[in-house]
Amino acid sequence: MKRLITLVLLILMVSGGIYFSVSQLNKAQGITSDNTLSLYNWGDYIDPALITKFEKETGYRVSYETFDSNEAMYTKIEQGGTTYDLAVPSEYMIQRMIKEDLLVKLDHEKIAGMANLDEQFLNKAFDPENQYSIPYFWGTLGIIYNDKFIAEDAIQHWDDLWNPDLKNDVMLIDGAREIMGLSLNSLGHSLNSKDQTELEAAAEKLDGLTPNVKAIVADEIKMYMIQEESSVAVTFSGEAAEMLDGNDRLHYVIPSEGSNVWFDNFVIPKTAENLDAAYAFINFMLEPENAAQNAEYVGYSTPNKVAMELLPDELTEDEQFYPDSKTMENLEVYEDLGRKYIGIYNDFFLEFKMHRN
Amino acid sequence: MKKKKFKLSNLYLILVFAVLYAPIFYLIFYSFNAGGDMNQFSGFTWDNYTAVFEDVRLITIVLNTFLVALLSSLIATIVGTFGALAIYYTKKRQTRNALLSMNNILIVSPDVIIGASFLILFTFIGFGLGFASVLLAHIAFSIPIVVLMVLPKLKEMNDSMIMAARDLGANNWQVLSKVILPSITPGILAGFFMAFTYSLDDFAVTFFVTGNGFTTLAVEIYSRARQGVSLEINALSALMFIFSLILVIGYYFIQQHNVTKKQKNKKLHQTEAVTMR
Repeated sequence: MKRLITLVLLILMVSGGIYFSVSQLNKAQGITSDNTLSLYNWGDYIDPALITKFEKETGYRVSYETFDSNEAMYTKIEQGGTTYDLAVPSEYMIQRMIKEDLLVKLDHEKIAGMANLDEQFLNKAFDPENQYSIPYFWGTLGIIYNDKFIAEDAIQHWDDLWNPDLKNDVMLIDGAREIMGLSLNSLGHSLNSKDQTELEAAAEKLDGLTPNVKAIVADEIKMYMIQEESSVAVTFSGEAAEMLDGNDRLHYVIPSEGSNVWFDNFVIPKTAENLDAAYAFINFMLEPENAAQNAEYVGYSTPNKVAMELLPDELTEDEQFYPDSKTMENLEVYEDLGRKYIGIYNDFFLEFKMHRN
Repeated sequence: MKKKKFKLSNLYLILVFAVLYAPIFYLIFYSFNAGGDMNQFSGFTWDNYTAVFEDVRLITIVLNTFLVALLSSLIATIVGTFGALAIYYTKKRQTRNALLSMNNILIVSPDVIIGASFLILFTFIGFGLGFASVLLAHIAFSIPIVVLMVLPKLKEMNDSMIMAARDLGANNWQVLSKVILPSITPGILAGFFMAFTYSLDDFAVTFFVTGNGFTTLAVEIYSRARQGVSLEINALSALMFIFSLILVIGYYFIQQHNVTKKQKNKKLHQTEAVTMR
């Protein structure tokens, strides 16, 4: 009994100590409830130095919380119980959140620096006139290949993935929209197609890709490609940027016939408590200097055209990550297809995955 | 022949430990990498460690994780111990079995389901997500574990001791504190440490109930993983590995100390008995 009581007291003392140090740390950072900006972002998706700079400039404190998928973020916000002032979902999720009335309509009067943004990233179908969202980063879906195994320029189109020489050598990202989309694109259809015959044709074409597929994986693609486990992969531009850093022999190609372009945009959820802080942060991130610094840190492409002038030329002239306008024209944004069609896409993709085994 | 067999079993043991520890040492090895990623070792550096100590946010998260683990396992141990007592002293066999099964169902039910249910429950009753919600959820999934650790010790306990205590005039409180609790202490401690580790590395439940500026390490590392885990996390993992190593070694020495003391006492008693005779 004595032993148990000592143990309980010991634990309580240690907990008290930890509680004290946490509150000291929070105090040292100046976190109180009314001057805090609660930012809900992807993990490691901002230069930490910018957060410090924002805090110094405005006096707000940033409480940075992270999520790993749009769906996870959506669940947290939709259920309530959270008070995020700013979140960064992708375009199809924004569309869904607008539909479900989860977002605050932006007051454009309070936003300075909209003019810094490139018009081609504004006024998109998922959020006409950007009433609810402000672009943060964008990127594409494309093919990454290793020139040690494959002649340079041998891969330019989605159809090249079907080349019999690539038997058991292609890695695909595990996403129904992405893989069905590339098949649709290769047939000349839209990747938002809701046409049953087009979808069936795309699924049938995918069947032919089966012998070439080595694996359908997620983030591990990065490591596999750097370590040359496979010569070709389908993945996102930001991932590709990191792969290129890890292995000089890798190249990233956006098929000119069409591919996906995606956006991660700032939105203000209805549950937000500190709107002023949210606007202050959006304005801060729209400043070209900050956007440029962030783009260099994160590795994705910035929609801020003034910031692009501040970035090193070899980065902005790199067509792998800032494609020319002709390629851009053929890129499509995912639309929220609604429950029924997402189901159909998923079913076809699942069938494809099953055939593989 | 006998000697050879001995060697084989040793080899097996070494192999098992190598498999268990290799990933951890691999990770620790790269925490000293100057290259910035885990693809190639390009030079030795302490930078990743200084980065950990400079990252106030990360340190706060680590402390929060430990705070939740300590408090939740403590409360769960108290609740679970009494729960086990209640189950043990339920007279009707059917009710007792039903209670035990209900406890077991909670252990086998998947974490995601527990987490999602908590999220729905908390938001339904308008309870803000944050420290309290995480703590409550951790207490909840730890209780069945504690119950399961304490029950066998209760079954091992000699019931005639309680009868003897009662015969000698002990009241309920005295029976509990002087007889029952001391004899089930090992089970209680085991339950506490089990709950502690469960709470420390739980991701699925925690993920659903964090919010409003409060996160634990598991959730943070997982969401960072999307961009590729930075070596800072390696350094932090190395620190935590060394910390737990120190704890275990410390525990081992305390145990050893107690054992030798007990043996000494025993010898002393024996010699006393002999001389007295």
